[in-house]
Formats: sequence, structure tokens, C-alpha cells
Amino acid sequence: MLLSTILLAAEDMGPNPIAPEGKELFWGAGTFLVFLFVMRVFLVPKVRKGMEARYGMIRDGHESAQATRSAAQSDVAAYEAAIAEVRAEAAGRVEKARQTLDSERQAKVAEANARIAAKRADADKSLETARTAARGEVAAAVGNVTSRAAQLVLGKSPDAAVVKRAVDATMSGGHS
Amino acid sequence: MNQLSLLAFEFPPINMLLRWQDVLPTVNKVVLIGFASALIGMGIFLAAARKDPKKAPKGARNLAEVIIDFIEKQIIMQTMGPSGLAWTPFLLSIFIFIYLSNVPGVIPIIQMPATARMGIPAFMALMVWVVYNATGIKHQGPLGYFKSVLFPPGVPKALYILVTPIELISTFIVRPFSLAVRLFANMLAGHLLLVIFALLSEALFQARDRILIPVGVLPFAVLLFLTGFEVLVAFLQAYIFTTLTAVYINMASHAEH
Repeated sequence: MLLSTILLAAEDMGPNPIAPEGKELFWGAGTFLVFLFVMRVFLVPKVRKGMEARYGMIRDGHESAQATRSAAQSDVAAYEAAIAEVRAEAAGRVEKARQTLDSERQAKVAEANARIAAKRADADKSLETARTAARGEVAAAVGNVTSRAAQLVLGKSPDAAVVKRAVDATMSGGHS
Repeated sequence: MNQLSLLAFEFPPINMLLRWQDVLPTVNKVVLIGFASALIGMGIFLAAARKDPKKAPKGARNLAEVIIDFIEKQIIMQTMGPSGLAWTPFLLSIFIFIYLSNVPGVIPIIQMPATARMGIPAFMALMVWVVYNATGIKHQGPLGYFKSVLFPPGVPKALYILVTPIELISTFIVRPFSLAVRLFANMLAGHLLLVIFALLSEALFQARDRILIPVGVLPFAVLLFLTGFEVLVAFLQAYIFTTLTAVYINMASHAEH
């Protein structure tokens, strides 16, 4: 009784909605297999090939850009090396010129110093000569005055040699 | 026809929602959606293939390349590695066909995912079952494949009494069954939810008792939300089916160490 009721109810509900339907399974399978065949054999390889070609082109472009960049970088390095060489050469020349100027300056300074020293020596010599002459004259004058004073005091002329020695000793002592 | 009635709300018999009259001999709405899925998929790739590949991709070509990239980078490289790239056309076809069969569930007027009927999911799962077993036999030989599946290395021999029947049922019965049922059940559930909320909104908007009319906004809002959610589910189910197919093929290709 119960079983027949359930069966009747199931019959009323119609076919099982979960069970696959033959025509849908068949057409679904056929459609997908045709789709898979067309995609696998024709379409995907063609699109993929196009993608690969474009990626290759982009890769080549990158490589070319990289090569250009490397070439530019080596050009810049060569330019910088040339600049450094020129700068070093210029610095060398400047240093050489500076050394030349310095040696010339030192030579001229030495020459001037020598001239000054010679003039100074000449001046010193003249001065010494004049001083000696003046000293002789002063000593002679002092000797005369001393002799005259001694003559006036003692009434006789003192020995000229003694007076000279005494004047010299006095002047030397006074000088020193 | 039996109808479920709750107050004034009447739910039609489920077969009325799922079984469609033939428009041509043996060709119903579900079959037509299958045809359309294949034709649209082929149309996109045909249009893509006819465009100059050297120019920056746009339109159909861009779409086709995005799909190929998605399948290769997000599915194949994640599950199979570079050796799986040869499977791109197969996995791509599965993904596109399932996705385009799922999406009509949220397209106005059509509003029926072809995968909410068991035919297409059952065939797809069966095909995947054949493919991964054939791949396993091809790569490891029949004996090596069945040995690696039924007697996984590293398991104590005493446990084979337990493990071997589990692996046998899991690999050869549960996998295809779960693949088919996961796709079918998700799409069917989504379809029924949309129908329920659409009918409920209609019933409330047309209620004799005028106080119920504003209440119809609530199921209508849920209907809108579920429609958006089904767009996501349509993609997700195609993605899951394709990913699991890739995983099964990869497992069959390489013996466990």
C-alpha cells in the first residue's frame, strides 16, 4: 500500500530531474568534441602562434634596445675616458708650466738676492772704510788735543807714541 | 501538474523548470545553449585568429589572449608546471565551454544554465576520467599506473588493506562523480534560488492584499544579489572544474615517489 503510494507519487512528479537526459548528453558530448577539435587543431595554435610572434618581436625589440643602450654606454665610457685623458694632459701641462715658472721665479729671486747681497757688502765695505777713516781722524784730533793739553799742563810735549797708545786704548775702551 | 503551494505562492513542479520542449527533433533549449557556447567560443577565437597578431591586441584578440594567459598562468603553471602547457587547448576548451554553458543562467530571457542539467556535466566528467586514466597509463604503463594509484608508496603495507579500496573508489568512482555533481548541483541550486526569489517577488508585487506589495522589494533585492552572485558562481565552477582536471591529469602523469 505504502510502496504503491510512493510509486504513484513518483510517477506524478514526472521523470527524475537529476538523471541525465540522453539527448542532452549526446548533443553536449558532440558539441564539446567538435568544439575541442576545432580549438585544438585550428584556433588555439593560430592564436598562440600570433602571440609567440608578437612576444618574439617584443623580445627582439628589447634585445635591440639593450644592445643600443650598451653601445651608448660604451660610447659614454669612451668619451669619459677621452675627457679624463685630456684633463690629465692639461693638468700635466699646467703643472709643468707651474714648475717652470716656479724655477724661473726662484732663479730671479736668487739673482736679486745675490745682487742685494753684493750691494750690501759694497755698502758695508764703504761704511767700514769711512768709519776707519773717521776714527783715524778723530784719534789724530784727540791725540793732538791730548798732546797740547799735556804740554800746557806739564810744560813739555808728551811722547807721541804714548799719547797715540793712550788715545787708542781710551777709544777702544770707550767704544767697547 | 503538482504545485507546491504556500499561502498564495505557488511553486511549479521542478521538471517544468528544468525540462524543455524540443524546438527541433531531440534539440531543446539546453542543447541549443550547448551549441551557442561552442559557437561563441569558436567565434571569439576565430575573430582573434583573423586579426593581425603583430599589433597590440584589442577586442576579440585581447579577450582570447587574456583567456589563454589565465589558463596557462593561473591553472596550468599552478597545478602542472611548464610540462603541462601542452594541455592548454584541452583545458581552455573545457573552461570556455563550461563557462559559456553556465552564464546563460543569469542572462535575461534565456535564464537557464545548460549545466543545471546532468547531461553536459556527466559527459565532461566522464571525458576527464577517460583522459586522466589514459594519460596515467600512457606515462606509467598500465601496471605502473594502477600500482601507483592503488598502492601509494610510503604507506605501511598493513595499511594497504584500508588504503587500496579507498584509493580505488576515490580515483575511479568518486572523482568523476564529484566533478559532475559539483558542477551540476551548484548550477541547479543557483537556478532554483533565482526562480524561487523571482516567483516570490512576483507573487508579492501582485498580491491582492496591498500591504504585501512593498514587502516584495525584499525578495527582489535578494534576487538581484543572487543574480550577481551567480555570475561569480558561473566563473568559479568553470575554474574549479578546469583546475581539478589539470590536477588529476598531473597526478596521473607523474608517479608518486
